[in-house]
Amino acid sequence: MPVVTLYFNRLQKILERKVSIEKIVSALPLLGLDIEEETKDHVNVEYSPNRPDFSTDYGIANGLQGLLGIKLGMIKLKIKKGKDAIKADSSITKVRPYITAIEARNGILDDETIRQFIAMQEDLHNGIGRRRKKVSIGIHDLDKIQFPLMYNAVSRTHRFVPIGSEDEMTISEVLQKTETGTMYMNLLEGSEMVPAIIDSVGNTISFPPIINSKLTEVTTKSQNLLVEVTATDKNAAEDTLAVVAYILQSAGFQLYSVRISGANNSTPSLDARNMLLDPTLVTETLGLDVSPSVIIKSIRKSRLDGKIKGQRIICTIPRYRADIFGPIDLVEEVALGHCVQNLDPTIPESSSAGQKNRITVLLDAARSTMIGLGYSEVMNFGLVGKHTQYDLTSRDASRMISVADSKSQEHHILRDALLPGLIDVLSKNIHEPYPQKIFEIGTIFDKDNPIKEAIHLGCVSAHGDVSYSEIKSILHSFLKTGFNLPCKTTADVNPVFVEGRTANVLVNEEEIGLIGEVAPAIIDNFRLRIPVAGFEIKLSGLIFD
Amino acid sequence: MSQVLHPIEQKILRALLEKQNLTPEELSQKTELSIDQVRRGIEWLRFKDLIKISESEKHFVSLGTRGIEASEKGLPERQLVNHLKSLFGYSCEMDEAKNQLKNEFSAAIANAKKNGWIEIHENRILLKGYHDVTSDERLIKTIASRSPAVISLDEIEDKNALDSLKKRPDFLTVNSTKYVTVVLTEKGVETASQSSSQTTDAYLTRAIDVEAPTPTIFAARTHPLQDIIDEVREIFVSLGFTELIGNSTQSSFWNFDALFIPQDHPAREMQDTFYLKNMSAKKVATPNQIKRISAAHEKVWHYDWQLNEAKRMVLRTHTTCVTVKALADNKYDEARLFSIGRVFRNEKVSYKHLVEFNQVEGVVVGKKVTLRDLMGLQMEFYRKIGIKKAKFWPTFFPYTEPSLQSMIYNERLGKWVELFGMGIFRPEVTKPLRIKTPVLAWGGGIERIAMLRFGLDDVRELYNNKFSWLRSVPKCQ
Repeated sequence: MPVVTLYFNRLQKILERKVSIEKIVSALPLLGLDIEEETKDHVNVEYSPNRPDFSTDYGIANGLQGLLGIKLGMIKLKIKKGKDAIKADSSITKVRPYITAIEARNGILDDETIRQFIAMQEDLHNGIGRRRKKVSIGIHDLDKIQFPLMYNAVSRTHRFVPIGSEDEMTISEVLQKTETGTMYMNLLEGSEMVPAIIDSVGNTISFPPIINSKLTEVTTKSQNLLVEVTATDKNAAEDTLAVVAYILQSAGFQLYSVRISGANNSTPSLDARNMLLDPTLVTETLGLDVSPSVIIKSIRKSRLDGKIKGQRIICTIPRYRADIFGPIDLVEEVALGHCVQNLDPTIPESSSAGQKNRITVLLDAARSTMIGLGYSEVMNFGLVGKHTQYDLTSRDASRMISVADSKSQEHHILRDALLPGLIDVLSKNIHEPYPQKIFEIGTIFDKDNPIKEAIHLGCVSAHGDVSYSEIKSILHSFLKTGFNLPCKTTADVNPVFVEGRTANVLVNEEEIGLIGEVAPAIIDNFRLRIPVAGFEIKLSGLIFD
Repeated sequence: MSQVLHPIEQKILRALLEKQNLTPEELSQKTELSIDQVRRGIEWLRFKDLIKISESEKHFVSLGTRGIEASEKGLPERQLVNHLKSLFGYSCEMDEAKNQLKNEFSAAIANAKKNGWIEIHENRILLKGYHDVTSDERLIKTIASRSPAVISLDEIEDKNALDSLKKRPDFLTVNSTKYVTVVLTEKGVETASQSSSQTTDAYLTRAIDVEAPTPTIFAARTHPLQDIIDEVREIFVSLGFTELIGNSTQSSFWNFDALFIPQDHPAREMQDTFYLKNMSAKKVATPNQIKRISAAHEKVWHYDWQLNEAKRMVLRTHTTCVTVKALADNKYDEARLFSIGRVFRNEKVSYKHLVEFNQVEGVVVGKKVTLRDLMGLQMEFYRKIGIKKAKFWPTFFPYTEPSLQSMIYNERLGKWVELFGMGIFRPEVTKPLRIKTPVLAWGGGIERIAMLRFGLDDVRELYNNKFSWLRSVPKCQ
């Protein structure tokens, strides 16, 4: 989840009201913000990616103002008609088809404001922008740009000076030599032509979705900004632009429209929209008997607007709140405005009697039977490492099920048996006294389509005098005591066990597992210094279907 | 009574009160206890600081090769006397005696003369009238009569005989051995005299030391995490919930699409979710379900929904896939369901993250259920599991609206920690699956509850299967 750093002194200034740090810190979670770290002068909060309007301290301050009753209602985007224009060329349609933009003028930028904007931009890229694939944003020093701008496709030999560099580079060089180039070059794979925004005197101002030009770099001296957003989806581009515009306006900039045209592009309106809310949906969902006027008050605390129309409420939602899809989302806004901690828990009546699953009941019986036989339960993962599961136990890996891109070598295949994990547990406990007697009941996976999942019982005994007879006695007693099932063992060969001391286990002529004394080579592989015997049988299909 | 002593201890103490510095073997003899009982008793008494062990040296005297010969045939001088006695005139030539006694001849002559048994005249030996048993002979006899033929140096009263025999080569061997002896401590003397003056002997011999430590037997047991799972399950059942069980491997359709998580959502990327290599489901859902789910996605998220993407098999990231499918299949008007099972996240394993853990999830289906009911059920669950303080904060989940998370107070750490997430299923989830009644849902990791209960700071501990830890966790807490 993305994180915003909030400096208390700055936040207090933006709030336009002296609110104590304590009050701020206790209010933040009620906006849905998780406090990650708190120090004397700042707090780091995590916000949910569906609320990009919380990506800076300006957006969070607006939310706090509502919740604390300092300022209520929707913040309208005030956009004056501007003179500048961007034209999209049809060459761009197959590369990155959409562009939209806005100007923000007469603002003051200090280091922290720039840092907040850069963090916002990255969060938007990763969230709504899907790591720049869907949407990317460029913020430029407006005064360095000669309008009109052209958005078109250029070849990879096109040259310009990217931000963070002193020298002109070709597009190919940018992709190979700059950090963002190498990170995002895959987004342009499969296309010889790449997008570029070029001004009227031929200066490249941006190479979306990769990097801006050095020419238009924003500094603390910049007063006027151009925000351009390019995208594969027009709606997502305008949603993103609305969030940036909202933040810039909150930071004291004045917004001016930019005329967009060409190749299915158009000037964005960024207007607020209306949505009808039935008050009964609020009362039924929240279990809160409140009047429409109280609902409107809560909505306004969540920085939206609402007014009564007949039996319903017309809510006004600003463009930067793209997370509101339908009336149920407005219900949540009411809950937040009302403050979740003012909702008293109630206990719903129930006439139903609860019940464990029959499988659970039978597995509990299996577990207690094993305990009665003196075996202790252990728990291993289902997602395990190949080394233990196959290499150390000389088992056949031809039906191995792997997961893609695991971050850990110890967890990259699904286990098809419990015994390797059980022997591994013994190897972790060689300094503990013997005898060691353990079992596990767990899910194993068999490669098929669909994958077959079955519950197995695995059991091992380790001590100086362990033998096949001892473990067979445990197996036989488990089946007899637990489930009154007779079992047979027929000689077989298995790489895990010593030849001549291993068998298949049969119940009613059906093979249900195997048993034996663990082969010395495997004992060695696990650095055990004591003999081990064990068995593994399926419980699925044996004690339940 | 100050301290109850085991009969073994009492016997040892009494023996020592009579005579200190006894070896375990001597104690065994005196007390008629077996040597093992004595050794055990010594350990107990040492532990109670009633006796001390001290090491001392003891000397033992046994017969040498000539001593053994002498014990059978008599000393050389006695042999000479016996020979002379058998002769007519009680005398013989020196040479004859030499032949008779061989190597022992000179010793025999010297000692017999010293004892005043013989006289020598012109190369002839004459027996005199008196030849009583000597102290040397008595000592040899005493040693030879022992079995084994050994005597403690202390036991020999006639030190002159000892000295005289020691001077004669190969008659005696003296060995020394280090010996452990037992001595009463001051406290021991006190206790022993009290104990021997006790008149309630009959009682004392029956009583045992109830304060003495005994070894721990590690009872076979279920895994502590399984105990927590069972406890959680019992609570759900007691609240009227019925258990569902489902597979760990699922199609993306039920894990993500049915829960309104768009196909390009970051949570669906491989760095968060485990996809099974080269595995696609043949059939994911009914054609109607597929049509309606894809339409809901395309309407809100503006993208081309792909069936192939929905078919990709994953390790479930939550148990909600099982619940939502059960709801879609059964269309309950009213129900309380829960499931407990393993879920998987492609994370780096750390003290707070596992790639695989247990999740519990509950749902309530009902026409009149509300967010406040959902909060009430949490409070009830927490009360039953022993969590006293809980509160609610808003949060976000793609498939619920409104959504809340509960925070519970960790008494040990003195801070609020996140526990269960919850919410009401979005219409974009329920409508396409024809679920007509509101659904309250909540869930979270069981390992967190286990960590709270067992006071763990590292979640990995739960799956290390270290016997030392498994045995240290009390079964009931």
